[in-house]
Amino acid sequence: MNEKIVKNVGATERIVSVALGAYLLAKGLRRLNYRSVPTLMFSGYLFMRGGLGYCPISKRLGKKDVQTPAINIKAVMTVAKPREFVYNYWRRLSNLPAFMHHLQEVKELNERQSHWIAEVPGIGGKIEWDAEIVKDEPNERIGWRSIDGALIRNAGKVEFFDAPRQETEVRIIFSYHPPAGGIGTAAARLFHPIVKGIIENEAYNFKRVIEAGEIPTINGQPSGKRTGKIKLI
Amino acid sequence: MKALCWNGVRNLNVETVEDPKILNPRDALVKVTMSSVCGSDLHLINGFIPSMQAGDILGHEFIGEVVEVGPEVHQLTVGDRVVVVSVIGCGECSYCKEQLWSLCDNSNPHAVIQEKIFQYPTAGIFGYSHLFGGYAGSHAEYIRVPFADHGAFKIPEDIPDEQAVFVSDGVPTGYMAAEMAGIKPGDIVAVWGAGGVGQMAIQSAYHLGAERVIAIDGLDYRLAAAATHGHAEVLNYKDTNVLEALKEATGGRGPDCCIDAVGMEANSTGIEHYYDRTKQFFKLETDRPAVLRQAIAACRKGGTLSVVGVYAGFADKIPMGLFVNKALTMRGGQMHGQRYVPLLFDLIRKGKIDPAFMLTHPMPLRKGSEAYEIFNGRTDGCIRAVLMPQAS
Repeated sequence: MNEKIVKNVGATERIVSVALGAYLLAKGLRRLNYRSVPTLMFSGYLFMRGGLGYCPISKRLGKKDVQTPAINIKAVMTVAKPREFVYNYWRRLSNLPAFMHHLQEVKELNERQSHWIAEVPGIGGKIEWDAEIVKDEPNERIGWRSIDGALIRNAGKVEFFDAPRQETEVRIIFSYHPPAGGIGTAAARLFHPIVKGIIENEAYNFKRVIEAGEIPTINGQPSGKRTGKIKLI
Repeated sequence: MKALCWNGVRNLNVETVEDPKILNPRDALVKVTMSSVCGSDLHLINGFIPSMQAGDILGHEFIGEVVEVGPEVHQLTVGDRVVVVSVIGCGECSYCKEQLWSLCDNSNPHAVIQEKIFQYPTAGIFGYSHLFGGYAGSHAEYIRVPFADHGAFKIPEDIPDEQAVFVSDGVPTGYMAAEMAGIKPGDIVAVWGAGGVGQMAIQSAYHLGAERVIAIDGLDYRLAAAATHGHAEVLNYKDTNVLEALKEATGGRGPDCCIDAVGMEANSTGIEHYYDRTKQFFKLETDRPAVLRQAIAACRKGGTLSVVGVYAGFADKIPMGLFVNKALTMRGGQMHGQRYVPLLFDLIRKGKIDPAFMLTHPMPLRKGSEAYEIFNGRTDGCIRAVLMPQAS
């Protein structure tokens, strides 16, 4: 192998490769005879693939090198309030925790800078960072990003457009860069669906709060014994 | 308090549960005095609507007395005798403002999940599965009513309980069915299903100008009620060829308006019935659309179909060729109760609509399971069993 080793296996895939490799190793060793040779060889290959993050087969198949792009979560909704009202509500970033429950607090330090405290969705634990508003066009758009040094680099943008009947179209993008390096990326990948679900739901809460003044809930209502599996759909 | 809980397919039990609390500023608590069974509950009980959880409290058609109001409730006071609409609407989103309350954007706590199936989320409904919000239902001594200023209406003193309870759901659903049918003076209207909603659709159709109303059902006692209380002509599909009979009754034209007040568990005869039962059993279709098919076939050219029977998901063998080539119009919807309640109080007062005869079986809450057995079995002349949670 005279090619330079370039990582071309994603973090989740690496975890899966090692896990599968370990399973096959155990299986192959349990009944050691000539038939377990291919199993053990394949197991070794998977260990190599997972451990090095390099897969010659993927390389042959033309798979590109792994990068860690920003993870974006988008939401779009129409709100039955005038554009100015919606902009002003959002411009007070301290209003965000009223509908984004994973944010514990957003403290406005001055016109541009703010301090954010958040629970890490799906995992628990707290992270804090400072952010600054980098774009502020009244009634049009607001953009912000974390200031250098944040554990999870993140940014957000919300844009406002006129909709029929004096309503407002709101387009929201949150993006975050998981901490660089294997474990951070792997964790971010694993938790991304959870984070995405929570943030989508919380973004929808914006509409509920600004229109209805409250977020509908059934938490705390009575029910009979919850026997059996709870599954929503 | 006591409440009637769903514990699995055809498994209901009265259990002791926590009392409800005010959870949001616009909530009110209501002491339930009457809570009706509804045909749509049967789809939940028989296991055809997904996202039920063991322990869910059933019931969505009810009246009661306000016992507590949240800080943002301004139209109600403790002691008010109210009827509560079964669909929950915030009153502030564009749908509520357009009087399309069952399409409320903000009342379904599970909107983001429901959206994955329906593409756009719909309103929460009391006691009607987690897809529709998972709200605790009214077959209980007390119930929490969200957005109470919009959903709870004070009942005029001269309207008795046995009329008022059906203004929660059955009457507005029947009325909206007739309204969506676009009835013009002189029209002949066919109504499939002579349960509570069908009965109300019949009376509403006459009120909106129908010349004749023909009711179709498989139960003679319900057809008799439609004839007596709704002045409908009747057809029993079990011993009549419905398509031929409707053609015959309309001078070969077919009914101008066809109302489906049956929905996803339609019964039919012969091979069609076994076909749908089998597909539904194997989850190859969620809905048995026998009535919808028949209505499309029966309707006159250029006529209107109005669908208020509950459908959950997907139905097969819908004769789209007939629908298109006969240039039909089809409308459907869960009722927008908040829009109709004041009007319906008025029509009841004037004697144009009278739902009281539907209350055939008043029963205490503790007999809730039995009430549904009678209702589901269509035995003992039952049109509606109504639970009385405050009676012993």
